[in-house]
Amino acid sequence: MSANSLDRAAHFECADDVEAINRLYRERRWSDGLPIIPPTAERVARMLAAVRIPPQTVIARVAPGFGAATVERIAINAVMAGCEPAYLPVLIAATAAMAESSFNLQAIQATTNPVAVWLIVNGPIAQQLEINAGFNCIGQGAWANATLGRALHLILQNIGGALPGEMDRATHGQPAKYTFCCAENEVNHPWQPLHVERGFSATESTVTVVGAEGTLNMNTHAKSASELLRVIAQTMIHPTSNEYVHGGEPWFIVGTEHAEILKQAGMDKAQVKQALWEQSKMPVRDLSVHEIERARASRTVELGPLSPDTLLPIATTPDDIQLIVAGGAGTHSVYVPCFGNSRAVTRRIET
Amino acid sequence: MSATVMLFDPTAPQVAATATGSVQLTSLAGAVIGFIDNAKPNFHHLVDDLADIFTQRYGVSRVIKQRKSSASIPADPAVIAEMAKACDLVITGSGD
Repeated sequence: MSANSLDRAAHFECADDVEAINRLYRERRWSDGLPIIPPTAERVARMLAAVRIPPQTVIARVAPGFGAATVERIAINAVMAGCEPAYLPVLIAATAAMAESSFNLQAIQATTNPVAVWLIVNGPIAQQLEINAGFNCIGQGAWANATLGRALHLILQNIGGALPGEMDRATHGQPAKYTFCCAENEVNHPWQPLHVERGFSATESTVTVVGAEGTLNMNTHAKSASELLRVIAQTMIHPTSNEYVHGGEPWFIVGTEHAEILKQAGMDKAQVKQALWEQSKMPVRDLSVHEIERARASRTVELGPLSPDTLLPIATTPDDIQLIVAGGAGTHSVYVPCFGNSRAVTRRIET
Repeated sequence: MSATVMLFDPTAPQVAATATGSVQLTSLAGAVIGFIDNAKPNFHHLVDDLADIFTQRYGVSRVIKQRKSSASIPADPAVIAEMAKACDLVITGSGD
């Protein structure tokens, strides 16, 4: 069989009955457990018409099975998730981003850790596609957020071959493995938005993929920057964290009210990162004996010999701490602890 | 007869692991055995015991042990190259 025939999606005839089709996709483990939109030839063609890339173009090989993520297969999974055709360029860029070696997708897909892939969309496309960056931005209610995140996880399962309990060894998983996507609030923002910080222009559209272990809400009515950062830093400290063991990349969704407090205090992003990094150090002795052994294997080169009194930083450098601004009004921010041995990747969305 | 519709399979063929250039060992006597320790707690205990068995029972000439810094990252390419050069057989695995 030629490479081209391998890269062409298989197709078949089926009775035109949405319930029967859903039963079939469920039996073949092609769904995530929720009903799907049947990927008919017509729907997939409409999806593909949103881009000018030939359908058999391989965007990436998706670990752990290293299936070929062609534009056509990405489109098929996008249809199943309920995406609009205009969303396809986001998924193409995200699939390419996940394949970067620094993202470590092989580990993310096969680990017992609950890690899910979080999509953050920046730039003009976020508003064009109505990707929610405001109230409930990582919750339910916005079609683009819900279906984009869902499509990405279908790609990971169907093209990457990471079936739960088989190659996806997640002990529990997490709800974000159904969907996890938001935009950044670039209007009420005291600093440069994420994509500009990462070297793109404000008028470019980007997607960032993050290996997210979960979300932890941080509700604090603190009104001074120093108090706000102190309680956030204390929230970061937990001895069961992969990030302290390996030196990670913790993320924060800073709520707009908390962002305003930091802005009023005249703090830039670097100062916020530095304060969180300093104040979230944890003594080695707080880890379990086995985690100390893992931390020694992973961080001795970086930190030297680890004694019980050694203060472990959550990340190798303050700049590894990542901040975006999003959410509606309220005294909340969200801590997104991450996988540890993974670095987020940002890609430009080509439209 | 009900109408039919053409549907797509959303999966992709998985790339099968290929063993290229592998050589079958007919005996372990005199062989050099390598272990890539994935850094999970306790794997090195298993490796130590296996190394003793290989040496004492099967006449292995030498055992080389290399530890990754973490289970969730690949072995350093330089380590893989070194093991490929020095070893007749390399065992990777997970212990916890």
